[in-house]
Amino acid sequence: MNIIGPDALVFGVDDVAATTSYLNDYGLTPAGRDALGDRFEALDGTSIVIAHKDDAGLPPALPTGNMLRKTVYGVADARALIEIAAELGRDREVRHLSDGSIEAADDAGFVLGFQVTKRRPLLLPAEAINAPGAPQRKPNQVGVDENLNPRPRTLSHFALFVPDAAKLEAFYVQRLGFRVTDRLVGAGPFLQPGGTLEHHTLFLINTPPQMKGMEHVAFHLGGPHEVLSAGTRFAAKGYQSFWGPGRHSFGSNWFWYFHSPMGCRFEFDADMDQMDKSWTPREKPATTDSTQVYLFQAREKWSPVGGPPPGARH
Amino acid sequence: MDTQVTLGRIDAIPDGQARGFDPGGTGRDTLFVVRRGAALHGWLDRCPHEVVTPLPYRRHAYLNAAGDRIVCSAHGAQFDIASGECLAGPCRGEFLTPVPLTATAHGELRAQLPADLLAPVLPLSQP
Repeated sequence: MNIIGPDALVFGVDDVAATTSYLNDYGLTPAGRDALGDRFEALDGTSIVIAHKDDAGLPPALPTGNMLRKTVYGVADARALIEIAAELGRDREVRHLSDGSIEAADDAGFVLGFQVTKRRPLLLPAEAINAPGAPQRKPNQVGVDENLNPRPRTLSHFALFVPDAAKLEAFYVQRLGFRVTDRLVGAGPFLQPGGTLEHHTLFLINTPPQMKGMEHVAFHLGGPHEVLSAGTRFAAKGYQSFWGPGRHSFGSNWFWYFHSPMGCRFEFDADMDQMDKSWTPREKPATTDSTQVYLFQAREKWSPVGGPPPGARH
Repeated sequence: MDTQVTLGRIDAIPDGQARGFDPGGTGRDTLFVVRRGAALHGWLDRCPHEVVTPLPYRRHAYLNAAGDRIVCSAHGAQFDIASGECLAGPCRGEFLTPVPLTATAHGELRAQLPADLLAPVLPLSQP
């Protein structure tokens, strides 16, 4: 089960023009149209794909109205595809699509695709800093380029609202070979597929069933300076910051979340931890303070975990 | 105690569109107005689903593509423009918080703000 991580996330949107502008301004590059919709790529070819919500080429909409339609995982090789098809074929339909990928639903009803990854190798330096004793920039190389326009390097991870996080965790761990790296008790696990060292590519958040769907999508940038630069440019275009900038505790990644016209949040992210099999998962309660080591904008509650939404009349 | 503030000229809000306002100078819009012909609908920019969450993904982007519903970009809730009722999404059946509006004889739009909800409020003009 050599799954590397998400190659693409597919959305059926209400406003294609507004979403196109948004993804361009977020820093993704238009890469044409294919069978599912319009593709917008990060530097390594991972992507967001959008089509109008009524487009017949999309997988069915979720009953909640959430705009996520499909998650396409990249795997290492054709053998991994055969293994996944055999495993999932034991108890569900596995469709073999004309592009060589396979498609099946997970135990929460999310449509998954698996393809030999289309990620391109990234040959880019990390952000360089000058620490006393360990300068990384050459003399005369400045740290601030006011014209910097950071581009997302790769699709890092996403978070799902799910009605039964324990059940879905079991599916990803037992059927697809994911590992739990850490856990926010009351929300859910951080999950790492077998083909990457990334702290997580998937985070599950236990919520009421009417929330089911995508909660946020994150792309990695080259470092914290790129996160703050990209977020500042994005906010200056009128896009609405939701949470950040700050730094997460579990995963250590820098974050800055924005609202999006896809009914979920988009995060600029950088510098996530890498964990191997010797790592022992940690646990702590899911509160705002437990997920951020610092933050430059107050936010009382970051997701409606642990019960019905405030003011609910159900 | 409520506070009356002047938001601006009514004709600065295009028919069929929405505009956000930040009369308290908080740094982001705290209320919005949707104009449909002569009808003006004022609402606090807070989703009843997550009361700390403002609705739009971008300034003034409060409506869906068809312009017939208010949408929250956080989790996709859809609201009736006139009644503020959530018709679809995670807070179905709940309501946006109304902001009473009045129009002056000179075409100015005024809003009655609940001061406790919009601190710090720095009124543009007192009644």
